[in-house]
Amino acid sequence: MMPNSNFLRIKFACILMLVSGTMSLAQVAIKQNKPESTPLRQTIDKAVQESWKKEKIKAEGKCDDSTFLRRVYLDLLGTIPSYDVAKKFLADQDEKKRDKLIERLLNDTQFAQHQTTLWDLTLFGRNPPNQDATRNRTLFKQWLGEKFTKNEPFDLWVRDLILAEQEGSELYYAQFNNKPEDLTESFSRIFLGTQIQCARCHDHPFTELLQKDFYGMTGFFVRLVVMDQGASGSGEKQLKKFKIGEKNSGEVLFSGNQKELKPGKKGEPVKPKFLSGALLEEPSLPADYKEPEFKSGTKSMPKPQFSRKEKLAQWATAPSNPFFAKAAVNRIWSQFMGRGIVHPVDNFGTDNKPTLPDLLDNLTEQFIAHQFDTKWLIREIVSSETYQLGSKGENKESLPKHFERARIRPLSAEEILTVMKVAGGDPEQKSEGSTGEYFRRYFGEPTNGLGDFQGSLSEHLFLNNSSNVRAFISRKKGNLADTINLSKEPWDQRVDKMFLSVLTRYPKDSERAKFASYLQSEPKSENLVEEAIWVLMNMSEFRFNH
Amino acid sequence: MNDQSTSGECKKSEHFSRRALLKGSLATGAGAAIPNWGGLFHSHSIASMAQKLGKRCILLWMNGGASQIDTFDMKPGKATAGPFREIQTKLPGYKVCEYLPKIAQQVDKLGIIRSMRTTSPDHPDGIYHMHTCYKQSERMPHPELGAMIAKYLGQTDADLPSFVRMGPTGNAGSGYLGPRYEPFGIERNGNMPYFTSPYLPAANESRRNDLLRFMEAEHKKENSADAYESHRVAKERAWRLLKAKSLFDTTKEWPKHQELYGASDFGRGCFLARKLTEAGVPFVEIGQDNYDSHADNFVCHKANMQILDPAWSGLLIDLERAGQLQNTLVVWMGEVGRTPQINNRAGRDHFIRGWTIVLAGGGIKGGVVFGSTDADGRDVATNPVSEGDLFATIYTALGVNPRTKHFVGTRPIWATPEGSKPIKDLLL
Repeated sequence: MMPNSNFLRIKFACILMLVSGTMSLAQVAIKQNKPESTPLRQTIDKAVQESWKKEKIKAEGKCDDSTFLRRVYLDLLGTIPSYDVAKKFLADQDEKKRDKLIERLLNDTQFAQHQTTLWDLTLFGRNPPNQDATRNRTLFKQWLGEKFTKNEPFDLWVRDLILAEQEGSELYYAQFNNKPEDLTESFSRIFLGTQIQCARCHDHPFTELLQKDFYGMTGFFVRLVVMDQGASGSGEKQLKKFKIGEKNSGEVLFSGNQKELKPGKKGEPVKPKFLSGALLEEPSLPADYKEPEFKSGTKSMPKPQFSRKEKLAQWATAPSNPFFAKAAVNRIWSQFMGRGIVHPVDNFGTDNKPTLPDLLDNLTEQFIAHQFDTKWLIREIVSSETYQLGSKGENKESLPKHFERARIRPLSAEEILTVMKVAGGDPEQKSEGSTGEYFRRYFGEPTNGLGDFQGSLSEHLFLNNSSNVRAFISRKKGNLADTINLSKEPWDQRVDKMFLSVLTRYPKDSERAKFASYLQSEPKSENLVEEAIWVLMNMSEFRFNH
Repeated sequence: MNDQSTSGECKKSEHFSRRALLKGSLATGAGAAIPNWGGLFHSHSIASMAQKLGKRCILLWMNGGASQIDTFDMKPGKATAGPFREIQTKLPGYKVCEYLPKIAQQVDKLGIIRSMRTTSPDHPDGIYHMHTCYKQSERMPHPELGAMIAKYLGQTDADLPSFVRMGPTGNAGSGYLGPRYEPFGIERNGNMPYFTSPYLPAANESRRNDLLRFMEAEHKKENSADAYESHRVAKERAWRLLKAKSLFDTTKEWPKHQELYGASDFGRGCFLARKLTEAGVPFVEIGQDNYDSHADNFVCHKANMQILDPAWSGLLIDLERAGQLQNTLVVWMGEVGRTPQINNRAGRDHFIRGWTIVLAGGGIKGGVVFGSTDADGRDVATNPVSEGDLFATIYTALGVNPRTKHFVGTRPIWATPEGSKPIKDLLL
């Protein structure tokens, strides 16, 4: 796809901003300190290691090759390496093999797919509103997938998301059909890193946010209209299309604190206001302006004379925006490091300070200087020593606060499904009808309100007793169980193969001995092999990326 | 998560108990004794465990919303009264519907709130609100009452789930408390849910599980993160549940109890609730269907009450006999009440201006009628009770602080909304 005129216009605007003296302090700093002088990965390590010194923390050492291999595969592609890949990588003596692997994975088509899955989940959540519209998000994922395939700068694809003029992109707005307040919450959380939902009902108790700030932001969304373009297919597969229109008039009505609300009290119109910024300057409508009546079933409407949506897109994604780039790097950082430098990632504010403020500023500046290049940022993060730390040790925290050990993060439902197929030796295996739904149900939301992992009863009943899981384990022509059963190699070697296939590591001696004796405890090995593979797939080591 | 004990290693006693269980469940059949489950061998030790657990709660959920005027807040002689007659209860001067004769004899155990004034008028929002005491529209992941009770009254090393439900029930789940406290749903006919039947022969399953225990023990030597521990603990819980599965089977005991509870799925559910709470499950919810009588309200309520009356009264009698009533709070409620006015289809619609909820047992004063509605039942006349007040009363009766605080991200959330007050007149 050629860059469209919008793309060029906006690029131009960025350049203008940089040369026109409206640079932030951050940008000044970049000018003085050339971005390439110190690779970002080193800046990360230096900042993290200094904080350990200050806090007197003993950190883990570098992780071993198999841990790194599994970790980076999961984080970049959402899967694990096959047996052959793992064997080759572990035997490779090249000192640069980690860097080479990172480069290969970043250019794998699955990389873009996996990023798409992650952002789709961020933008819609597990249970998005407007179920009819959001159940099938094929078009949205196609749209977003193309952005990641081209490694389109982060600010540009978000700008297109806000403009919602490209096919597929409209669905983000369509989920909040007629609920501009809900859209305001979602947008501010994800792209501005700010939880302004408190201010929906009352002035924020801990920050300077007022209700008027919330409704000021809602003003940018209140004129949007979701226009149904019809559907193809039916049932679960039904695919609905939308267009987003924008009216010339319409205001948010603000009626004060929810608790003091009196029935029948009419609200005051609130002018759009950029979060913690200025009121939107907009031409006033003629006094006698009357909005054409919007009939349901309308499929298109003319562009408004003045588009608030475009103003929001410009403001939100500009390098000078005080929230946007920071929220983006913090979120991307947390994707790999388990927690944000501000944590939770969507809760920047005076009451929730960053653990490494200078590093966060640094990341932000460099991300802007690199034109919001997501792939570059990810490459630097996963190439850092910090990312490549070991995951063992006595620290009980799953997400260590000072990044002194690798985080332990649960695999997503999508990852578990993919990983089971690869581990079972048949990556292309089709899953039974409801398998995907079961996986999402039992592995989809494994944490409590604080983001701590909690194993559930239903997850384990499913793992223990379901034929859906068993289908990836039991013997089928050419899969892992079959290969192990047919192999004439000594049992020790077959055990090695099982471990490398499922856990991406060789067994310890004690484990090898235990498994070898288990697998020989009956004359016929078929049941035993299946049971042994099940065991490896049920380990906590398997459940997490570590 | 540090408070959860685990057994990553393979313990001798567990091999033993598994074998004992297999034997035990074959030998049990008389029905009176609870079969062996988990590591406990005798009903005596089960009772002592339940004792240790203290309070429990059974929620009888009237799905669709039962009519207050046709049950506990009758308006004889008024235009809104409907065709049902009143009968005298054990409590002098207090009458209930003629189709609740058995409950009428249990009124000395009941705390009846006739002045519920609530704010969610429809089904999904009402069901959510009356299970969480928060509005659904807030879009916060509030946990249900059952999840909260599971967290505060459940035992981490129990063999049985802490939150069991059956039939039409809540729609919020464990919310911000997390999957550790999610409901374990039994099918309407009492059957166990999906994925509770092993596909392997017991011996294979057992050796397989032991191999996993070995691997987890190896892993644990070098890895201490909370998340791993939570995974291991949940796996052990899933195994223990299957060992205790026979407890959910009421085939043997039911013929003996059918007369007391009435021959219905709901009655049998109430019996199961009694059995499970006695065995230490802190929260059981049993739903009864079809109260949403926008048409033919009276036909519908008459039929429902004939199921409800023996089941509910049977439960109270059975709990009392077993000496469990003072520890077991029984809540009777739905998501809405029903309108005083009768519509042109002989139906009653949703009503939230003044309706009835009934509490009994653990921590509740019996024989108390709290609050009232006006002459026609069109509004609360005295002592309005909100969702928050009701939950504050329930939590207080069960020994849980109604102002218990949790966090969603950095936002604090309380078990009941600000300003909720327990009803002192109903609490022992």
